Amino acid sequence: MSSTTLDSVHASDVPSFNVNDPNFSITADEVHEARERSWYATTPYGIAVLRYEQVNKLIKHPKMRQGSIAWPAHNGITEGPFAQWWASWILNKEGEEHHRLRRLLNPAFSPKLIAAMRPQFQQLANELIDNFAEPDRCEFVGEFAEPYAARVIAQLLGLPESEWPVIARESATIGLAMGVTIREDLPKIEAALARLFEYVDAAIADRKANPRDDFMTALVNASNPEDGRLSHEELRNSAVLLIFGGFDTTRNQLGLALQTFMKHPDQWRLLAEHPELGRNAVEEVMRVNPTVRWVTREVVEDFEYEGLLLKAGTTVHLYSESAGTDPRVFEPGFDITKQRKPHFGFGAGVHHCLGHFVGREDMSVALPLLAQRMRDPYELPGAAWLPDSGNTGPIRLPIGFTPGG
Amino acid sequence: MRVIVDMNLCQDHGQCVIAAPSVFSMTEDGKLEFNANPDESERAAVEEAADVCPMQAITIED
Repeated sequence: MSSTTLDSVHASDVPSFNVNDPNFSITADEVHEARERSWYATTPYGIAVLRYEQVNKLIKHPKMRQGSIAWPAHNGITEGPFAQWWASWILNKEGEEHHRLRRLLNPAFSPKLIAAMRPQFQQLANELIDNFAEPDRCEFVGEFAEPYAARVIAQLLGLPESEWPVIARESATIGLAMGVTIREDLPKIEAALARLFEYVDAAIADRKANPRDDFMTALVNASNPEDGRLSHEELRNSAVLLIFGGFDTTRNQLGLALQTFMKHPDQWRLLAEHPELGRNAVEEVMRVNPTVRWVTREVVEDFEYEGLLLKAGTTVHLYSESAGTDPRVFEPGFDITKQRKPHFGFGAGVHHCLGHFVGREDMSVALPLLAQRMRDPYELPGAAWLPDSGNTGPIRLPIGFTPGG
Repeated sequence: MRVIVDMNLCQDHGQCVIAAPSVFSMTEDGKLEFNANPDESERAAVEEAADVCPMQAITIED
């Protein structure tokens, strides 16, 4: 069989997406229609993979690496604190170095350790709902998703919880690094980074002096000099990555969950009546409405896949929502009682999200409580959204509801 | 020690390979292979593999 190279692909044969267009929406009909014509589309970066089977295969393919390491350099940022921190990310490591870091960080994320935090998560969710400014409406992002995500991280890392607005603000500023204005935003980004390092350094010093039975102590233990395993630099770099990686994603995913449930009021009522469906509700939301809209990989060495020659250096975007709603695998609809095949909302393979047990646990606590206390929710005017690609979610989401529970 | 992997759950993420490389490995095609009866000296590593598995597909029988 002869193979096709990307250069010889004709527009008539294969769909093409202009993902740099600010109006491009990764969940638009255009993308779903393209999925029915072809398993992939071409993009200015390389290809976009649209179907479940091919996403599942390529996201774990041994000839691909995680694809974001070159981002700062692509934007002319090759030195300084931000470039150094980015290069330190476990997500940007491969092979033995990646595995060593992962082995050291994984124990802090043990599902048993995280499950023990459930009562804390419950208390926090209830406290936030109790404190809504109005009894029958809220700005969901500012009054719930943001403080919930930031305070869970503060609890996890043992940072002062009262300072959650700083965690939220500095993480959001660092998030500017994901955008095309990274270069002009760099001074702000580096100031935010320095601030988070201050918090982390204080928490590390505290746990060294006063070990506890908690997440941060588990991380600090991995850097014990007698083990000589995780260096002090690796420890503080990773801790700041955990703040950044855990905050935005959880905040966005909670907002997206409310968006989905407002379209399916029967499912929201069902969740209120059956809080034990919380875990499955998280999976179902992340299947049809994941905040991580695409997962990025880069081809390491040339290989052929389904007749297409993928050359080293090609960027491959795996579209999570498109795969999660692929009619070849999933019947249409949103149903929190169904057991489905796994989604790609936490990525997959060796780079599978490190903090997924935390996100799964805290969202599976929050959603049933919200369903019980915010009955029949509906959107009020004034919502604002991030672009529908990369990492998405609401920036503001005013919601009206009937108080319950 | 007997290692059981629920292959209906397993998604070949390979986190177990990172945790316990002498017991778990990936084929060239990216599929999981493992030693179902590893030496007792591997217990801590296998327990870690079971703990970190994103699908929680690994169990240990004594």
